[in-house]
Amino acid sequence: MALINAGNRSKTRKTDTTPSPQPTKTLETLLEELDSDDVGLRRRAARDLADFPEAVPALCLRVATETALSVRTVLFTALIRMRSPSVVAGLVPYLRSEDAGLRNAVIEALQDMPEEVAPVMDELLADPDNDARIFAVNILSALPHANAPHWLVQVIDTDPHVNVCAAAVDCLAEVGDIAAVPHLENLSRRFADHPFMQFAVTTAIRRINGE
Amino acid sequence: MSMKKILVVDDGITMRLFYREVLEGAGFEVEEAANGVEGLERALLGGFDLMVVDINMPKMDGYEMVRQVRGDPALRAIPVVTVSTEEKDEDVLKAYTAGANFYLTKPVIPGDLIETVRLLTGVATQ
Repeated sequence: MALINAGNRSKTRKTDTTPSPQPTKTLETLLEELDSDDVGLRRRAARDLADFPEAVPALCLRVATETALSVRTVLFTALIRMRSPSVVAGLVPYLRSEDAGLRNAVIEALQDMPEEVAPVMDELLADPDNDARIFAVNILSALPHANAPHWLVQVIDTDPHVNVCAAAVDCLAEVGDIAAVPHLENLSRRFADHPFMQFAVTTAIRRINGE
Repeated sequence: MSMKKILVVDDGITMRLFYREVLEGAGFEVEEAANGVEGLERALLGGFDLMVVDINMPKMDGYEMVRQVRGDPALRAIPVVTVSTEEKDEDVLKAYTAGANFYLTKPVIPGDLIETVRLLTGVATQ
């Protein structure tokens, strides 16, 4: 595979730590097995490739084409274990995928790597596509990062699209504090002619106030 | 005449509360589910006259839920209104191909939702 440095191909890992000795497999072998017709072999290859950072591009490419749900699940588990800026870079493009299942899996995976996602959050929230910004807000809905409420407030202060702001309001109702209330009130004025936004802001403020 | 029973399926709690307020205010009974899997489980308990289904949801998205509804003899006759932030023609077509009866775009306007639900449940409009 062109993306793999030839110098890394001789690396091996032990596939198990049980008393019976297991054969070791090279990166190259595991990458070949990732393309196998055998679902079990693909699943084990995906699991074992988590020990090879050089495999990130191949694993990220595979999540888009993998047809077996069990293998796709293991691919994401491996990528979450390997969390790094390159994993984030490999997954972010799938936020534009038409495959909602893949998109949701990517959102959940990115939520599991907050420190790696944080540096690209501003860029995601500035995407020209409304739906991509909604998916970025969806990441924030369960991103365990101290800056998450700040990003959400930034969205309701500046984003021009009602649905993006509505998604952020829903998240702020969960993670926002009293400091978000004036921003919510401003948003309510900004979208004064949208009944849902009026309802969402009122609901969020009530929930923040513990009502 | 007994109240028509609507199942609203959306992962956003605020959205579900909004649907409840709007539809209950129009005389419908409302139950909620937070994703497609939960929605199907609720639907199979029976008694629903219509479902309002969000497209982008975790676990099972709206397209898949509608496909499963149409493939289930116990559910296939129930009208489904899909709701999405996506307004491109291909998104609308995808929902209808999956089996939706109607497609609404967010942010949902209360009057549009009520009229659509009334139309599809056979409740006379006012």
